[in-house]
Amino acid sequence: MTDQKLAVRVDDISKRFRLYKERNQTLKATVMRGRRSVHEDFWALRDVSFDVPEGSTFGLIGSNGSGKSTLLKCLAKIYYPEKGSITPYGKVAALLEVGSGFHPELSGRENIFLNGSILGMSRKEILSKYDEIVEFSGVSEFIDQPVKNYSSGMYVRLGFSIAIHVDPQILVVDEVLAVGDAEFQDKCRRKFSEFRDKGRTVILVSHSMEMVREMCDHAAWLNKGQLVASGEADPTIQAYLDSLGEAGEREGGHGGQAA
Amino acid sequence: MGYLKEVFASRELLANLTLREVRGQYKRTIFGQLWSLANPLAAMVVYTFVFSFIFRIQPDAGDPSGLNVFALWLLCGLLPWTFFSNVINSGMGSLLINAGLVQKVYFSRIVLPLSYVGSIGFNWLFEMAVLVIALSIAGAFVLPWIPLMLLTMVILAIFATGVALMLSVANVHFRDTQYFVSILLQIWMYLTPIVYPIKLVATQSDEIGGLFGSNITLLDVYQINPMERFVSVFRQMLYDNRWPDPNDYLTIVIWALVSLVVGVLVFRRSEKGLAELL
Repeated sequence: MTDQKLAVRVDDISKRFRLYKERNQTLKATVMRGRRSVHEDFWALRDVSFDVPEGSTFGLIGSNGSGKSTLLKCLAKIYYPEKGSITPYGKVAALLEVGSGFHPELSGRENIFLNGSILGMSRKEILSKYDEIVEFSGVSEFIDQPVKNYSSGMYVRLGFSIAIHVDPQILVVDEVLAVGDAEFQDKCRRKFSEFRDKGRTVILVSHSMEMVREMCDHAAWLNKGQLVASGEADPTIQAYLDSLGEAGEREGGHGGQAA
Repeated sequence: MGYLKEVFASRELLANLTLREVRGQYKRTIFGQLWSLANPLAAMVVYTFVFSFIFRIQPDAGDPSGLNVFALWLLCGLLPWTFFSNVINSGMGSLLINAGLVQKVYFSRIVLPLSYVGSIGFNWLFEMAVLVIALSIAGAFVLPWIPLMLLTMVILAIFATGVALMLSVANVHFRDTQYFVSILLQIWMYLTPIVYPIKLVATQSDEIGGLFGSNITLLDVYQINPMERFVSVFRQMLYDNRWPDPNDYLTIVIWALVSLVVGVLVFRRSEKGLAELL
């Protein structure tokens, strides 16, 4: 793996959250208690290092609360790790939510430009991809209607369509793939493989082992903020599922089925 | 410098967010943009009734314009003030209102408060245009002063931006800020010679003399208020139609720069932690 070109290097990152027992979010509390607030440190990520090879589809797996989403937000530059560094080799776009910043009163067309620029596209880029975006979303009939009149499916489809057309070198995706009907999901999947064929890197978080197995060639397994394993997808997923089988009836049963 | 580059790179996003505010604001209203005139006009009517008709406050006639209309004199100070106070209020809340965006997407966060400066500035431009027309009808020769007026508007916008940046961060840490500041703004308005002329303060100040046996007069303390200078500069240009006092002008430029630099520094320091704090 070392001789391969890297898309992202995650180097020994740790992320701490403060759990406030009593949070100094009011002036009164601050004045009464002095500057100190009562908190406990919670390390959502601890000393996590791995490399994401270029052109791979990389899955982050782990149980709830394992730090996957925190890691994803660090990759998306929304959180900043206390320690360590993340080095992306290329433009990163994150897709943690669809339709971010949509204004309900504005039309679909206006929202494409708004949302596109929030996601980092230039006006020129949006103009050149505009038809594709509308086409992909399948809401062309209603593109001049305010988005508040859209059905929730149309809303997320439009949002997703904009995001997928940002076309970054590295795409970071939270579990937003599960939007729209079966047909749209199929479209998304094709778009992702197209993406991969172009040599782009996708990093995604998913709870669905089937999806990870189907889409990813590499994976990293996190447990309670620590990296357990990373590397080729199949052995990592298998190790994760095996651990679930040992860990308990409830989740193990689930994992066993998926395996 | 790197930071400025980043902000500059987000100019399209800033434009789009500003447009979102401008377009979204009066959507589905019958009167549309005219609503932005409603508030200043209502305030003008009330203040003119109370302070001119009842209290009989008489500002000096415009020199050399010769204007003697209380309502116009009032608006020359009131419109800049309402712009300032709206920018502070909206800019301060901009991070909280857009918390969802901050937690989901990475972009230069400073565009959020700036977009409100833009959209409120757009309304203000509209209001000032109406004021210029009204002043011209009343007989003031205000047209040559328009370029300088626009420049001064930019300077006030810079000053307001700096203050709003500081307060937006403070508001994320302490939600009390917004309530505290809205009271402060009310007091601040009456500490600024908007509804009354500064000569009334000067008269009082002369009667009292030096404070606590020093040379400092009440008027000196009163004039520390940067908004006092802004209002006075706007009145000299628009109502009096003369060159603003260079000292006054220099003072507002300095205030604006200091406010912007401090505001950007404060904002930049806390920008990275915002997503967690919201």
